[in-house]
Amino acid sequence: MDKNKAIIEYLFNCPVIANNPLFFNFAEAEDNNKQILTVANDKKINKPFIDGSVLKKFTFTIIDYRSVIYQALVNDPEHPNDYPNENVDEMMDVQGIIDWVTEQNDHDNLPNFGTDCVVEQIEALTDTPRLNGVDSSVSPNLAKYSVSIQVQYLDISKVLWNK
Amino acid sequence: MPLATKTLNLKDGQRAQRKTLITVAEWGESTNKKRQILGARTEDSSIELNPDIQTSTDILGITYTDVNKTEPQQSFDPFYVMGGSALAEYLTRAMLKNDIDAYANVFNIYIITAFINDGTSSSEPTKYYAVCHSGCSIIPTAIGGDSYTNLPIEVHYSNNITEGEVDKLSDDFVFSDGTT
Repeated sequence: MDKNKAIIEYLFNCPVIANNPLFFNFAEAEDNNKQILTVANDKKINKPFIDGSVLKKFTFTIIDYRSVIYQALVNDPEHPNDYPNENVDEMMDVQGIIDWVTEQNDHDNLPNFGTDCVVEQIEALTDTPRLNGVDSSVSPNLAKYSVSIQVQYLDISKVLWNK
Repeated sequence: MPLATKTLNLKDGQRAQRKTLITVAEWGESTNKKRQILGARTEDSSIELNPDIQTSTDILGITYTDVNKTEPQQSFDPFYVMGGSALAEYLTRAMLKNDIDAYANVFNIYIITAFINDGTSSSEPTKYYAVCHSGCSIIPTAIGGDSYTNLPIEVHYSNNITEGEVDKLSDDFVFSDGTT
């Protein structure tokens, strides 16, 4: 099974992603658009074992475009720990992708890479989304957040022994 | 097919892949034998012969070597406790109970050389050269680790060897000795 298609199918189950336009590699930068960005996975990090299986990692990045607002945070004594601000809300929403991936991994709900691969783990490579920059040429300005995700799997296609 | 007809089935200069040298453990009652290939998640493991060697040099300067014995041994580290590993369960129970008899001299260990075989052109299914060491020990040396539970093991071969062949590369292989 193609791993990119497996990832697309998997991500459609993520609530933050499911209800928004999802693009693959090439995207229109608009508010709430999501983009899967492929990464060239380095073969040097593969770990071969003596039974012919190989531990591999499949990494990709999700880009999330969010509109920004230039508004200072307000400390309201009547609402402690609550800072109504769109930027904070957007950031928390993007954080939802990381939290969802973590939760799926904890419940062993992993992508399906086909019978030749045993998927062992999916994890976000950072605890929080990365802010890559702001596109000020559009209105409203767009923040570009990214979350890198890594799938660890065992490629058993070259194993000789059948159990 | 006779063992003598089996040959190194590699092209000139081609190296045998490590996965074609297979170690399989067998244990349990004769009516309920269990088998498991060793080496899942192990990056490097070799059969060390540990020879006991005595050398002497005569007055002409020629050195003679006596090999008194070998004590073959193979380590598997890591040997992870993994789902589906009957051997990991067996050894974990034995080591936690300090039941030495459960793992000393009770295993048959097959060494299968998938690169020495009848070739694929014969009309019969390919058979692979193998030897069986009877009454071997698989000694768990520790249990623990970091993220995943590791149970490193040492296989001590008995040198009680039967030469033969196996009919397939799977847990349900049939081992035939060289006389059949």
